[in-house]
Amino acid sequence: MDAPLLELRAVSKYFGGVQALVDVDFSVRAGEVIGLVGDNAAGKSTLARMVAGVYQPDGGTILFDGRPVVIPSAQAALGLGIATVFQEFALVESMDVVSNIFLGRELMTSGLLDTQRMEGLSRDYLSRLNARIPDLRIRLSGLSAGQRQCVAIARTLVTDPRLVVLDEPTASLSVGQTAEVLGHVERLRELGLGVVLISHNLGDVRAVADRVEVLRHGRNNGSFDASTASYEDILSAVTGATRHRRR
Amino acid sequence: MVESIGAPGSQASLREANSVRIIEAVRLYGKITQVELASVTGLSPATVSNIVRRLQASGTVTTEATVRSGRRAQLVTLARREGLAAGAHIGRRAMEVHLVDSGLGEAARQHLPLPPDHRDDTTLDRAAMLVTELVEGLGADLDDVLGVGVALLPAASSGWRDVDVADVLGRRLGRPVVTAPATEAAAVAELRLGELRGASCGLYVSAGEDTDSCLMLGGTVHRGAGLPVAGIGHMRVAPAGAFCRCGARGCLNTVVSAEALADPLRISHGRLQLRDIIAAAVTGDRGCQQVIADAGAAIGGAVADVATMLAPDRIAIGGPLADAGEAFFRPIRDALRSRPLLQDPDLTLVAGRLGPAAAALGVAGLALDAAGAAKALEG
Repeated sequence: MDAPLLELRAVSKYFGGVQALVDVDFSVRAGEVIGLVGDNAAGKSTLARMVAGVYQPDGGTILFDGRPVVIPSAQAALGLGIATVFQEFALVESMDVVSNIFLGRELMTSGLLDTQRMEGLSRDYLSRLNARIPDLRIRLSGLSAGQRQCVAIARTLVTDPRLVVLDEPTASLSVGQTAEVLGHVERLRELGLGVVLISHNLGDVRAVADRVEVLRHGRNNGSFDASTASYEDILSAVTGATRHRRR
Repeated sequence: MVESIGAPGSQASLREANSVRIIEAVRLYGKITQVELASVTGLSPATVSNIVRRLQASGTVTTEATVRSGRRAQLVTLARREGLAAGAHIGRRAMEVHLVDSGLGEAARQHLPLPPDHRDDTTLDRAAMLVTELVEGLGADLDDVLGVGVALLPAASSGWRDVDVADVLGRRLGRPVVTAPATEAAAVAELRLGELRGASCGLYVSAGEDTDSCLMLGGTVHRGAGLPVAGIGHMRVAPAGAFCRCGARGCLNTVVSAEALADPLRISHGRLQLRDIIAAAVTGDRGCQQVIADAGAAIGGAVADVATMLAPDRIAIGGPLADAGEAFFRPIRDALRSRPLLQDPDLTLVAGRLGPAAAALGVAGLALDAAGAAKALEG
């Protein structure tokens, strides 16, 4: 099989005396959903920010397409094809759906905004996700939490990414909205993208992930095949009841 | 619904096609304003307005005044005929929930992926919340729901042996709840809305993670006497083969289950789920096409055996494997053709029409039947 899309080898990150990540291994293939789970302060979001170019590793190697890379900035991450949706996503409440999707990347034709093309593309991104937002000119403040999450995911498609990292996309959503978001994750997988799904909710992760990686106190604590591992196996790795040696 | 369609290219056929697009959009979004309809369908606001007026006159949709972005707008919803029913199909890895009106017309739907070996308490909780949310999304409330149907896997494969689903959900929702095996529910849906309509002896086969069947005689489910019908998945096709979950040896399910299909591909393709195999087969992967063709041949053989005994006038095959198209159906047709005493499969064999919605729609229908029967008793 080909090299993984993204691979982290023995990556570490320190904040003063705090070991946020210690010798962490991690990989994602195209068309694969990896669930990244762990307790608070396990290092999940630190890993996401490192992949997104926000933090630099203090040790270890990041490989993309099998080649070592450095990701010095968020722009560099997008350039590689890595798009991230953070927990506090950067959407503007007072602007409409299309403006949010193209925020900071507006399409111009001879110096003017090409609103028609942006609207057409937005509709295309949303329909690729099987999303149900009828009016693209509605302000974000008029959408439900689930629909906003969907706009945040659609926003990643503008850069035509190969890997999408979602940090807690189902936190504080109703069941129906969770269903929508998990549906979007399935669609991203069908489109052949690699997906990293970071979540506290083991049920949501196991519903869509192919593999579940557990972090505990910044270290790997188990890698599970999502179709065979039980809820209890994963939970005991999260809580530290079982310790897993590095492979 | 659409009764007559004009000659292709004519004004009338164009209008029909546009009506269908609008109805589809209203169904998808549940509630949508005319302005939004124009932008979703790409039709002009004037066309949308005309068609909505016609659909309203024919009783297909209803409109109400609302305010969007400070402007007055017309909110369009599908007209509901005398109340709603909910159907939930709880499968191995996903739950489909559909709301229908009393004519089995779809009003809203939701798909929720589920974890492997999901537990009854969490899943039924989520089912109850999804039904409630969908009903509220239509601007209705639970009192408008005449009944709730739940289509379930056989207890042996879900591990929910001691769970009284109807009781648990009935308490949560405060509505009458009926349950049915998923394959039976899907067959009911194909009988009422799909490919088994009018069949006097119809065989429905669902081919997916497991393969199962349901026989429809004279428009009713054949249930056998005493124990439930085991179905086509437990017909013996490999006397020296592996043992089945049921305890017998060489059942069809041991040959065509999702695991059995993934096994020969492990070295070349890695670990694949059933949906990956089907998707790859559709896009031309030879290995995946081959295992699906083998599954088709095995299922086709068993279907031919059943058909030899029962001479059905219609055989409908649904479930995820049916999405693989010709790679799956050709060997089934060949298996039927190789038995000269059987009717030509071109006349009998069809793919199910309702896709993944079948079981949820069917069990909603059964819930409506139960509600109707209860009403008749009262009256």
